[in-house]
Amino acid sequence: MTTSGKPASFEVRILRQDAPGEPSRWERFRVPYETDMNVISVLQKIAANPRTIDGRDVAPVAWESNCLEEVCGACTMVINGRVRQACSALVDQLLADRPGEIELRPMSKFPVYRDLVVDRQRLFRSLVRVRAWLPIDDYSDRGPGPRQSQAEQEQAYPLTECMSCGCCLEACPQFQKVDLSEYGEGTSDEQRNAAFDRSFLGAHAISQAMLFNGHPIGKTSAAERLDALMAEGGIQVCGNAQNCVAVCPKEIPLTTSIARAGRATTIHTIKKFFDH
Amino acid sequence: MNQPTVSFLARHEFLIRRLHSLTGIVPIGVFLCIHLAVNASVIEDVTAFQKAVYQIHSLGGLLPFVEWALIFLPILFHGILGVLILLGGSSNTGDYPYAENYRYLLQRATGLIAGLFILWHVFHMHGWFHFRWWIDGIAAPLGGALFRPFHAASTAGAALQNGYVTTLYLIGILASVFHLANGLWTAGITWGIWTSPNAQKKIWRFCAAFGIILAAIGTSALFGMRHAGKSETFETIQGIENRMYEIRVELGDIRSSEDKRS
Ligand code: HEM
Ligand code: HEM
Ligand code: SF4
Ligand code: SF4
Ligand code: FES
Repeated sequence: MTTSGKPASFEVRILRQDAPGEPSRWERFRVPYETDMNVISVLQKIAANPRTIDGRDVAPVAWESNCLEEVCGACTMVINGRVRQACSALVDQLLADRPGEIELRPMSKFPVYRDLVVDRQRLFRSLVRVRAWLPIDDYSDRGPGPRQSQAEQEQAYPLTECMSCGCCLEACPQFQKVDLSEYGEGTSDEQRNAAFDRSFLGAHAISQAMLFNGHPIGKTSAAERLDALMAEGGIQVCGNAQNCVAVCPKEIPLTTSIARAGRATTIHTIKKFFDH
Repeated sequence: MNQPTVSFLARHEFLIRRLHSLTGIVPIGVFLCIHLAVNASVIEDVTAFQKAVYQIHSLGGLLPFVEWALIFLPILFHGILGVLILLGGSSNTGDYPYAENYRYLLQRATGLIAGLFILWHVFHMHGWFHFRWWIDGIAAPLGGALFRPFHAASTAGAALQNGYVTTLYLIGILASVFHLANGLWTAGITWGIWTSPNAQKKIWRFCAAFGIILAAIGTSALFGMRHAGKSETFETIQGIENRMYEIRVELGDIRSSEDKRS
């Protein structure tokens, strides 16, 4: 302990994996304490001196990061058991919550590429499934779009803040990892997407579907989005544990989106029944 | 791409899950409320409960049909699908110890407990099937089918004298009631009735109050029934029930049916 009550160093336990499908293992590192560290700077310290506590020189730990200000979502990992962004995880806070040690794991719901880097293709595939875009296919000038009311803007804005980080999926008890191992080495994109398309969409995609269904141009494909929400792996898989909203770093009202999607699909089902 | 392997369950997942949600409330949830309230009428006096049972049994030959269509089949559907649903989840309250996450876990645990309780309870009181050979040959020797509709309070009460049995009933009541109260809350989200966090919080308080009241009704029913079946009161109550039976037969309200008495 230094005079300020801060430790001289602390331990970092990292769940490592060399390549996709390889077994994982824990490795422990000791990192000298500095003020104002975050988990990215901890990983930089380890990269500069990749030697474990028991004195073995190992390959530096791989991780992803870009913005370093919690807007890109790339550095998402499981820190002390809870999914969050490494760049905004402050060491002082982590050590206050759990003195002496920090534990880092890759997200468990996605395949690991290497160490803390995961393959989040399924997350983006879910956005494709619900058509999370505006259906405009050309560059012609259509003049100004329809106006959105203040109330609509206020409902939409928080939903636009999603950075596709995956926290809401990692923490969801209904979102299970898709096992692609049955396809062996050379899984084709079609096989992979077919497997993804049968699995749960996740809260982020449900919320994005509601965002675009509330948009004056997005509305034109509202029915397709609702059909996607009601397909296999759709909104019905949600079990209302509400972890998604509790862990979303952008504080997106995901459970409100889920309930609004529940209402919209209820009405959509009735309409389809009587209008066909 | 042609996908012939997609199962019926998968293709209709949305409608099946909505039907699961619906059956939890209508008819099963409604049944639970009525069932506990009718049972609790025994605290007022045993004739009130006996009258209610006569009313139910005035359905006569239709009764088994109504039981299966409105109670047993919906419970079997909801229960079997419920087990499949809970197998598809992976609870993580250890890492994410939030109140709603615990309730997610409890919804599954209480569903399972309620399911096991109902299987045993219906065997214990009702016997599952009304066939004579089944009741006499199998259910009764195994300690089931103890309830006699025309000796309603006395036989139900007598079946509840054992302390372990009473404890299991108490667990069954509390699990079923929590499952319904919390299920009401989640069903409102499933169907999109309450959407904002604020509305969900308010409704949760309402659902909690509903659950506490229903649990109180269920618990008083249990102890009321237990009281009615005590050996000191058993004979008196059977006497009251016999008089009610004789009057009803005399009035022609019911045909004499000994199998509903002994
Ligand atoms: C027989 C055994 C039972 C099992 C295994 C079971 C299981 C479940 C499960 C796993 C859920 C959560 C579904 C989801 O998240 O989508 C659920 C919901 C529900 N259950 Fe049950 N349950 C059983 C019996 C009952 C009973 C006796 C009642 C009525 C008292 C009931 C009423 C409900 C309600 C109202 C819901 C809420 C539906 C929703 O969230 O949309 N269940 N049940
Ligand atoms: C206060 C505690 C309870 C008592 C004294 C009680 C008593 C009874 C009796 C006497 C019967 C037989 C009815 C007949 O054969 O006509 C019965 C049936 C039944 N009980 Fe309960 N019960 C209690 C709690 C519960 C609970 C918590 C549930 C859970 C949902 C439940 C579900 C059922 C079902 C599904 C049947 C079969 C329905 C039928 O016979 O038509 N009971 N109960
Ligand atoms: S509310 Fe639904 S989507 Fe969100 S964590 Fe719970 S089960 Fe997952
Ligand atoms: S909804 Fe929130 S937790 Fe989920 S991906 Fe978007 S930003 Fe991340
Ligand atoms: S680096 Fe962009 S969110 Fe952390």
